Amino acid sequence: MIGLSIKNRKRAILHTAILFPLVLLLISLSLGTLKISLREVLEILLARISGGPSALLASPMANIVLNIRLPRVILALLAGAAFSVSGASLQSLFRNPLVNEYILGVSFGAGFGAAASLVLLSRNFPPQVLAFVCGLLAVALVLTISGGARNTLVAVLLTGIIVSALFQALLSALEFVASPYALQALFFWLLGSFSQATWPDLLWSAPLILAGLALLLKMGWRINALSLSDDEASSLGLAVKRERILIICLTTLITSAVVSIAGIIGWVGLIVPHAVRGLVGADNRLVLPVSAGFGASLMLLADDLIRTLSPFEFPVGILTSLVGIPFFLFLIKRGKASWS
Amino acid sequence: MQIRVEQLKLKYENFELSVDSLLFAASRVSVLIGPNGAGKSTLLRTLAGLTRPAAGSIFLDGRELSSLRGLERARLVSYVPQEHEAGFNFRVFDYILLGRSGYLNIFSPPAKADYEKTEEVISYLGLEALARRKLQELSSGERRIILIARALAQDSRIILLDEPTTFLDLRHEMEIINLLRKLAEDQDRTIITSVHSIDLIPRLADFLVMIKKGRILAAGPAREIFNAQLLEALFDYPLRVVEAEGRQLILR
Repeated sequence: MIGLSIKNRKRAILHTAILFPLVLLLISLSLGTLKISLREVLEILLARISGGPSALLASPMANIVLNIRLPRVILALLAGAAFSVSGASLQSLFRNPLVNEYILGVSFGAGFGAAASLVLLSRNFPPQVLAFVCGLLAVALVLTISGGARNTLVAVLLTGIIVSALFQALLSALEFVASPYALQALFFWLLGSFSQATWPDLLWSAPLILAGLALLLKMGWRINALSLSDDEASSLGLAVKRERILIICLTTLITSAVVSIAGIIGWVGLIVPHAVRGLVGADNRLVLPVSAGFGASLMLLADDLIRTLSPFEFPVGILTSLVGIPFFLFLIKRGKASWS
Repeated sequence: MQIRVEQLKLKYENFELSVDSLLFAASRVSVLIGPNGAGKSTLLRTLAGLTRPAAGSIFLDGRELSSLRGLERARLVSYVPQEHEAGFNFRVFDYILLGRSGYLNIFSPPAKADYEKTEEVISYLGLEALARRKLQELSSGERRIILIARALAQDSRIILLDEPTTFLDLRHEMEIINLLRKLAEDQDRTIITSVHSIDLIPRLADFLVMIKKGRILAAGPAREIFNAQLLEALFDYPLRVVEAEGRQLILR
């Protein structure tokens, strides 16, 4: 059984990818200005889970772990998983290892949508809705202008840049009309940061991200088939166009759900899937879950670094760009070798 | 399973192909030949259901091709493109397993039966040594065989191939020719293929279709229509067909 033995060999990597973010989650909860030991973190979490009224839960330490650090850590994990899985899916769909939601303009589209929702609509209206709509609009624009899903890299990259610039201009226009109070909130949010994460934000975004991730992970094999040429995929019996649109919608959904509360954080969806493919091969049944786990871990590590090393809140979005852009240039320079 | 074509008209950019009537018999190897740009690939793509004809009908054992949904069609017809287009570097086993995709729900990974079918195809073709390797480690001849293997995993009664031997060395060329014969004779598959090199036809074809400038110049049993006059008319080039050791050879 050749096929099954291949599967077994990679199970270990898959398990690591699931376990690693969980361990990291516990460690991250203990990190910060106030040192809280791992043991205390575990006790607080257990007390919260068992639900009993406990003196521990009323302590300021518990408040920091449960209401300040936990939402932030969960958002970082979800964001890393969402960007990485959406990057890996889009790369397969476009048969292009350099594509991701950031390059396709989804991030800036969603960013504009969320900002418009905050400035123009009620602050109680979930920004996720408009973020999703504008994210879809951005990717639709890129695909129409560049002429379909199967173009040269250059055509997609260029249209991505143009559409991103368009939405950035719209964002600036929005900042111009926004009140000073809204402007300040917009500014920090747009740089990309998890520092503002709260439970009410997560209440909207987390279910959307988890549902989108679950569906994409379940479609791993289908995404393999959709990475073939249109003719091949269609002759295998796939409804190529419909299925591609479904996957683009799901990746846009999870991206915009993150962007609407964490701002624009680029490049993670490019670095992680590439590294994972080097590790486990091209099969998306493995690439997607392993990217989710490693992407979540990487994002959380980056946020931990910021929280512990910098005296002020350095936006994580700037950090990922500083690391991601040289990596992207390196991949372009290396050309075809980046397919594996 | 046979394919019957009636009053077919195909349009592709400025190019037009029309076929009054044509029958590809079941369990036979039918070969399309003709000069470059004659319309062989367009005809194959239309038979595969990848492009819709401008007019006319295609029947698979009486069922009309255009009435079939994706999956129904995938079970009856598979299509082997000329080259594997560079894409992600899948393991050979997984790539052949992709042939099963049409049988699966959009959310389902391949099941045990799909693995078994793939193993069966691999052992039928003797590809065990390649199965664990990655696509980009293979030679172009090996990749063509893998493309055919994927079509076999798809397990359709009809297999359409677009110039499966072009640019291959002699050994791989003959390997594919012999395999196509074997598929028709031993497995009752209906094979329709275009070929570039006419020297292969006597070894390969039961049925021959000569296409020139969007028209069928001649169609019939290969033994009957594989002759110097028709081939000369087809390619506008003088040549002779001679018999040696019971085989037909082309002198050009």
